[in-house]
Amino acid sequence: MEQFLYYLKVSLKSIRRAPLPYSLTILILSLGLGVFFANATFYYRLNLDPLPHKSDKLFFPFMNLVPYDCQNCEPPNVLSYSNVQKLGATDIPSAKAAMYSADGYLRLTPQQPPMPVKIRLTQPDFFRMFEVPFLHGSVWPDASARAEVILSRQTAEKLFGDTNVVGRSLTLDDFEYTVSAVLADWAMLPRLFDANNNNHLSEVEDIYLPLETGYDRNYLSNSQSSSFQDADYRKLATDGRTKAIHQLQFWVQLDTVEQQQAYRQFMANLTADEKKAGRHPSAINNKLVGMRDIVVHFNKDGGDIKAFALVTLLFLLVCLFNASHLSLNRYLSNQYEISLRRALGASRWHIQQQALADVLLMASITSVAALLIGYSGISLMNELLPANRLFSSWDWTLLLSLLAVTLGCSYLVTLYPSLRASFGALNQQLKE
Amino acid sequence: MISLHLIFKSMLRRKVVTSLLLVQLALTLALLSNSSLLALQTWNQLSQPTGLDLDNILYVSLKPTSKNLQEYPAFADLLERQLAAVRQMPGVAAVSFTNQSPLMEGGSNSNVNDENNRENNTQNVPQYTVSPDFLKVLQLDVLEGEIPQTIQAWDGESTVPVVLTKSLAERVFPGKSAIGQLTNGGPVAAVIEDFYGQRSAERVMYNRIQIAQIYGVAWGYGIILRVEPGQAKHIRSQIPDVLKTADANIEIFSVRTMDDQLHRMFRNEFGLATLLAVLSGLMLLVSMISSYSNAHFNALKRQQEIGIKRALGASKHSILLEMLTENWCTTVAGAGIGIVAAWLLNQALALVISIPALPVWLPLTALLMLMLCVTLATWYPARIATQVSPATATKTL
Amino acid sequence: MIQINNLSKSFRTELIETQALKNIQLHVTEGEFVALTGPSGSGKSTLLNVLGTLESFDGGDYLLDGQSVKGLSDKALSALRNEKIGFIFQGFNLIKDYSLFDNIELPLRYRGFAAAERKRRVEHALEQVGLAARRDYHPSQLSGGQQQRVAIARAIAGQPRILLADEPTGNLDSLMARQVMELLEQINRDGCTILMVTHDPDQARRAGRQVQIVDGQLSDAAMYDPLQHASPVAVA
Repeated sequence: MEQFLYYLKVSLKSIRRAPLPYSLTILILSLGLGVFFANATFYYRLNLDPLPHKSDKLFFPFMNLVPYDCQNCEPPNVLSYSNVQKLGATDIPSAKAAMYSADGYLRLTPQQPPMPVKIRLTQPDFFRMFEVPFLHGSVWPDASARAEVILSRQTAEKLFGDTNVVGRSLTLDDFEYTVSAVLADWAMLPRLFDANNNNHLSEVEDIYLPLETGYDRNYLSNSQSSSFQDADYRKLATDGRTKAIHQLQFWVQLDTVEQQQAYRQFMANLTADEKKAGRHPSAINNKLVGMRDIVVHFNKDGGDIKAFALVTLLFLLVCLFNASHLSLNRYLSNQYEISLRRALGASRWHIQQQALADVLLMASITSVAALLIGYSGISLMNELLPANRLFSSWDWTLLLSLLAVTLGCSYLVTLYPSLRASFGALNQQLKE
Repeated sequence: MISLHLIFKSMLRRKVVTSLLLVQLALTLALLSNSSLLALQTWNQLSQPTGLDLDNILYVSLKPTSKNLQEYPAFADLLERQLAAVRQMPGVAAVSFTNQSPLMEGGSNSNVNDENNRENNTQNVPQYTVSPDFLKVLQLDVLEGEIPQTIQAWDGESTVPVVLTKSLAERVFPGKSAIGQLTNGGPVAAVIEDFYGQRSAERVMYNRIQIAQIYGVAWGYGIILRVEPGQAKHIRSQIPDVLKTADANIEIFSVRTMDDQLHRMFRNEFGLATLLAVLSGLMLLVSMISSYSNAHFNALKRQQEIGIKRALGASKHSILLEMLTENWCTTVAGAGIGIVAAWLLNQALALVISIPALPVWLPLTALLMLMLCVTLATWYPARIATQVSPATATKTL
Repeated sequence: MIQINNLSKSFRTELIETQALKNIQLHVTEGEFVALTGPSGSGKSTLLNVLGTLESFDGGDYLLDGQSVKGLSDKALSALRNEKIGFIFQGFNLIKDYSLFDNIELPLRYRGFAAAERKRRVEHALEQVGLAARRDYHPSQLSGGQQQRVAIARAIAGQPRILLADEPTGNLDSLMARQVMELLEQINRDGCTILMVTHDPDQARRAGRQVQIVDGQLSDAAMYDPLQHASPVAVA
């Protein structure tokens, strides 16, 4: 310990002798790392698997079951009500849920000012499939229409000032509903069950309504609804259930490879039958997309974070080159002293230990500076690319990895120069 | 007077330092050129013609908060009251309702085709349902035909005439007048000037307009108005209250000028270009620091050499020039590699975002910029180097 | 050739002012070989630096080849130095990263000679000092005597009117020193004026004229008795 403190003292002394090159090295290194941190944060968060133990078992089936003839068409991004009924008419999946989202106005009583809310209209298996935690009450017993809602914890607190509100009633878009459950705190980021139109970047909804009730009460999707035939999308209860109005997502849970194969076969049989019946004029193009691939499936673009990642990585590289260049210069100016120490009996190991003290000192200053720069970078990115705002926070895993990167970079920057200094020909340096 | 041959020799001798510098200069040039390219592209997109008076058209996005008001006939009545209230505001030149705003990424759209030639189908054409004053608000001239003056209801039976923008009319009915022709959405009543509709459309100037009731308000709707020049700011701040006075049961999502709409549409590109510009600035800073430190270190390390040269008759000026030339050589060499790197980075970026190919003049401009920065950064240490006293430097122990 | 009247120079630090040269009077005519002697710290080297325009002076006047150097710009001084003066240092002061050829060529570059002319002169100079075969060697590959001969070649390549030598043999053994001295004498015979700082009385005697400097002041060479001062101040 005492020896280490001595090494630290020597480091500080050599910094004080030439503070400018040292601070420039730190500046450059922290700039590179800070920019890298900011981007790594988004990259890490956006690519996080919200259900790592389960995401390989959840699938979204797509098919071209639409009343138009198209031979090279990609299947639509959303399904019709009748598509979902057909895709769900099997026992193969362990769980299945159709869903979509809509906007609404929530009040405690019809006289109150409205509170704008995001609604998810779905079926009971949704909560099981995505492991949504409940605080009070329980999920609806079946998928049929009922005037019962499930509230997020925040919504319950905002509306009632309390979470234990099961059985209480409220008004949603002029209709009265009973609260059947309140969720515990739940944030699924990214919320991969709805990745169309980059919706996976948004927060989960405030309130949950049975899908059938949503159709009865004419809730239109706020994300995408496409009509592929002459249909009145204001009449979801009738046209919505029978005609080609597409607005649903549909997820099935297939736990084993056998289940997945069976479901693929089921889809193939289904579309073949439909084709035979003349209801599938287009070429068959079935797809069973896993949750891990869903973002790529929906978003061909969204490359800006990737592009920026590429560029920040290059920037980090430049800064590393630069910082090692600076620190090499610094070591070369110190070479005489190092040679002198070696002449006085310091082994290469001693010199290396001295370098290690330098590394630790540099890493600690750099990590503070880099975190500050990283934080400013994140603020700037939130300002400029607000779509990714939810993905800008730090957790311990991330922080620790970032610190490890800093340490690694500081080591790299100091390693080559110190090696060069400690292995340099002793004689020649002293002579110079 | 200055020997490039000797400068190259001295660069070669400091292999590690020189190659570090070269790699870094190359990367800087690559990044600088590509981010300038991206910024340029965004700027071009933002300044492309829209056919609209960006500063004097306001769009209010709103929605009734009660189910009752969202449905006809209550909704029609609400619209009438809102339009009347806005029309009375001083400084408002024209006002209309519309289901959606121009200048959007995507929105309500449908395919358009000639009923007699369905093969020639145009997809994703924005469809607007508006009141007759919509064209007055946008100040669009009628090129052919006449704009219907009554707002049609959607009864499911009668067809509603359509108004097409010029480029769409030419696309659907090539080589003939569109007036009176039947589209899948209804007969063509008029052809108007082009304006920027939706970015995701086949062509941004393709638009279809119907003078008709708004079909549904699940996604909200809009009040669009043209204001007298210079009034936008004032009216923008007043309009929420005016609308609330007409009926309090509404939620106003936003009030924007068409210029805001345009910027929102390219927000991502703008964001990325800005970030890259910031990064390029940082890179230039880093290059300047490294040029500075390199020259500074050189000046220290080569004091004796400089002293000897001074004694042999090199003027301060030629020492300065020699040090600058050395850095220029490094910069040009680095930039040479950098031009290849810029091209490679351009290819890599093109895989993830839409970026045009790199024009030749851009890396060359970036090179000039780099040279300027490097010169600035080298100047001070080089000046110090010229102050070396030849008498002291040539003295030996 | 060299005319110095009442020249003085002092060094200042924050605390003290040291008078390095006081009222120096010196006239050297073309073709002379002058030895400048004196004890260590007496101002020999300072005077040589002033003569070589490497250092400025405070008072008096210095005419080189009839032209006053006072008030000349850095550019003019550099050109003057480059054209008329050749330097030989005790420590050789060759640029170790350059080959012999590059070293000798350097002042010719500053002079603005064309490449062919430079090559001719460098080769001629190398021949004069007997190192023509080693033009591509680097200084570190040579002995001290050889290095000093390269330095001499560099000094004479531009055919200067004056050669200023500061202890040219100080770092050399006697054999090598003699070779260097012979070379200098040869150069002097060819018409070049030489001013040489030395502490070696033998060498001083070989020069055509001796000038002694003590405490920044020139004293008459004739009154200088080398035997009296020989050993105690023999270290420069």
